[in-house]
Amino acid sequence: MVLFMLITCITEITGELLKKGHHHNQWVYNIFLVFEASFTSLMFGTILGKYINSKPLILSGLALITLVYIYDLTNHGFLKFNELTTTVMSVVFVIYSCYYYFLLINDEHYIDLKRNAPFWWVAGALFFYFGSTACNLFFDVIKDVGIAGHNITYYIFAALVVILYGCWSYSFICRKWLTTT
Amino acid sequence: MQKMANNDIKELIIITTLIFLLAPVFILLYVLVYNRRKAKHAEEKVQMKLAFDAEIVKTQLEVQEQTMQNIGADLHDNIGQLLSLSSLTLNSIKLDDPAKAQQKIEAAIDLTGRSIKEMRLLGKLLQGDQLMGVGLSEAICNQINWMEKSGKYQVNYLHEGEPPASSNLDKDLIIFRILQEVMNNIIKHSLATRIDIKLAYIGQNMQLAIDDNGIGFDAGKLPAAQMGMGLQNMNKRAKIVGGEVFIKSQANHGTQINVVIPYP
Repeated sequence: MVLFMLITCITEITGELLKKGHHHNQWVYNIFLVFEASFTSLMFGTILGKYINSKPLILSGLALITLVYIYDLTNHGFLKFNELTTTVMSVVFVIYSCYYYFLLINDEHYIDLKRNAPFWWVAGALFFYFGSTACNLFFDVIKDVGIAGHNITYYIFAALVVILYGCWSYSFICRKWLTTT
Repeated sequence: MQKMANNDIKELIIITTLIFLLAPVFILLYVLVYNRRKAKHAEEKVQMKLAFDAEIVKTQLEVQEQTMQNIGADLHDNIGQLLSLSSLTLNSIKLDDPAKAQQKIEAAIDLTGRSIKEMRLLGKLLQGDQLMGVGLSEAICNQINWMEKSGKYQVNYLHEGEPPASSNLDKDLIIFRILQEVMNNIIKHSLATRIDIKLAYIGQNMQLAIDDNGIGFDAGKLPAAQMGMGLQNMNKRAKIVGGEVFIKSQANHGTQINVVIPYP
């Protein structure tokens, strides 16, 4: 998790520096997609693994994302952002999230969800990936639409990231409670 | 024109994103509400389990108390009398009259023998209290033997079907306590002379049927207070293990009590 956060920070800083130097920065995010897909899949694998044998599901999801990633790269090259991969990845993660909640509801054991780390981690992922669906679907249309010097996606993703990291931070606090109490 | 189109797109994207964010909110709310219901259900289950355990302990105590009462009454009425009589007989022996002394000694031996027999029956009755040790059918037999001993009742006992390999001791205990209560009622109120008891295992159920030829009662006309704690307890007990008690009685036409409990 810490490694992923570090990679995220490096990606964002690199992206920002390239943007300031008027260079293409979309290829940086294409690289980051690999880490994002791997890390999020790994997390879902662990979380779903409590209820089912999650390996086949996660590996199938990763295989699908890889196929679309390769298709995107061959279709428009490495320098343009892989929108289709992002959209498919979002759909896959939203399905995982909904499936997790379905399994949670069907589990007859009561869990204190207010203090349950996996619940809040998945909540963050669901908000982020479901909330970004509109931006992903209309990426081509909105990439030139700006507000106050920034692209509209900048504000939407800023809000989504606040929700995502808010949920994930709370999830870590829950985990901390679990290990200290 | 381009600016207007951009504004429309902005609005559209923001509204769509908000709608897409609302969906997870509803999903999370649903999961949270459902989970709260699950918690309530779990709490109810715990409460029911506690109530069930308390009822089982109460039943166990009642069975023991009833057994002790029976034993106490027996010691006082039968064995005590027999031993007193033996003592009197032995005291009255005069050694200078060997023929009469012999007669009295034989009478004392007979009385002591009867006391021993009574004691054995009491021992078995005490075993009946330990249902786990002897099994339900054997415990019922011991109870019947004790009842028949008075000579007032002709008791027929029929055991039908094989009990499942895995017995349920809680249910056995409840059935046994219901039998004790019914027998108590028969002794106290029914003036019956014949009692038919049938314990049957039919499919997934255990059935206990007790018929007597006593004076019966009109259940509809009995005031609630007179309906008695006994009958109410029987119903309550059967219900906590998912069973039912059916009582059929008419004045001067005996009483039929049927207890059906899912088993094991």
